[in-house]
Amino acid sequence: MAVLRKDLQLAWRDRSGWLSAFAFAAVSLLVYSFAFDLVATDVRPLLPGVLWTTFLFVGIFANGQSFQRESDAGTFDAMLVAPVSPATIYLGKVLTNLVSLFLIELALLVLATMLFDTALLTAELVLVVAIGTTGYVSLTTLLSTLGSRARARAVLLPVLALPLLVPLLIAGVRASGGALGEPVGSAPWLLLLVVFAMWSTVGGALLFPLAVER
Amino acid sequence: MSAVATPTPDRSPSFLTSALRGLQALFLWATLPLYLRRWTLLPALTGVGIMALLVGAVLAAPREVIEGDVQRLMYLHVPSASVGTYMSFFIAAAASVAYLVSRDLRWDAVARSAATVGVMFTVVTLATGAIWGKPIWGVYWTWDARLTATLVLLLIYTAYLLARSVAGPNDEQAARYAAIFAVIGILDIPLIHFSVNWWRTLHPQQIVIRPDPALPGEMLLVLLISAMAISFLMLWLIALRSESEQLIQRTDRMRARLDQREPA
Repeated sequence: MAVLRKDLQLAWRDRSGWLSAFAFAAVSLLVYSFAFDLVATDVRPLLPGVLWTTFLFVGIFANGQSFQRESDAGTFDAMLVAPVSPATIYLGKVLTNLVSLFLIELALLVLATMLFDTALLTAELVLVVAIGTTGYVSLTTLLSTLGSRARARAVLLPVLALPLLVPLLIAGVRASGGALGEPVGSAPWLLLLVVFAMWSTVGGALLFPLAVER
Repeated sequence: MSAVATPTPDRSPSFLTSALRGLQALFLWATLPLYLRRWTLLPALTGVGIMALLVGAVLAAPREVIEGDVQRLMYLHVPSASVGTYMSFFIAAAASVAYLVSRDLRWDAVARSAATVGVMFTVVTLATGAIWGKPIWGVYWTWDARLTATLVLLLIYTAYLLARSVAGPNDEQAARYAAIFAVIGILDIPLIHFSVNWWRTLHPQQIVIRPDPALPGEMLLVLLISAMAISFLMLWLIALRSESEQLIQRTDRMRARLDQREPA
């Protein structure tokens, strides 16, 4: 897929943007550990919440940026008149953001493993993170197109995205807690994550053409 | 946080509750044609209905034995939540879909006014709930599933209004974006519902269950009247608000045309 390759290339050229997103995530992890004194106590009950809030904030931060660059350079409008379906453009964007954010999250998990002395790179947790990331990336990608022309977008995107992401946040935190061996009740959290990911991807692909028409 | 209020005086079967729901639904369908008579019949009905609500809730309804007079808030709280909040958000989403299909900015005005009215009723619901909750539950707020879902709904539609208000009344792009957001918002409600329910009810923690009141006859009658009154009020407010929004759109268009005509 040429669209995907172009998006990945763009993301690679825009390394500094993604690196600053990672730096933001790492710093917020440190902020959390100072704020909650995560070193002294048993971190396991708090850790899923800390990780997921960091994921969501860095995701919204980075997603807002990714569209900004393209619409500034005018390449986004060029893509729209190109003979590809808008759904393809959308999926290419989602996949690129997904890959970049997933890499950031893996690095963050490694960092957290060292900082909190808890084995976080388990297959189960990585799976939970991957599914959850799919869910929120496809939603925030759609929403960042919605905001990409409005004034005050930087403030608006989190205000729009976070309430919609409440189910994902709850399910992600609970599923990660389960993967870490915390008691999280018997609800099918992973299923909810999968449903949310499918819901947001399908909904995004259907609504994106409406969002970008000129 | 511990008191689970049980409804009194007598525990009738839940048949009555479902009867209430059914009547309410029937009634709501009946109100849709009423909207067409919004400048003649609706204001009068709203006035009579609200007066009946006040008389019914304050004077006619029997005093609840355990909870006391604070229970009378229910006649405002329950209709605000079930009719005011959910119906107006449903109307907002339906009008958004209508806008996306027809691209007629009047639908955008309807959607915006329905969302505004919905936000107002949600605030009324949460406020009356908090006032009732303090003496009955001992807390103003608890992270019960239904409360949480209502709060998230409030946040979503506040965000919708914020997103729509950054652009002018005739900005088609902003209207389209806001309509898409409203559609996503209403589709998110089932997911929110499941997540907060599992979060609170299956989670191993102390649970405060909201009593689903199986009400005795007189209380049910007053509740039914107040549900009607609140639906009239909701329709009337949406009608007024969307009319004024459409007037704002028209004056805005006229002003733009005047600006074009003036020599530079």
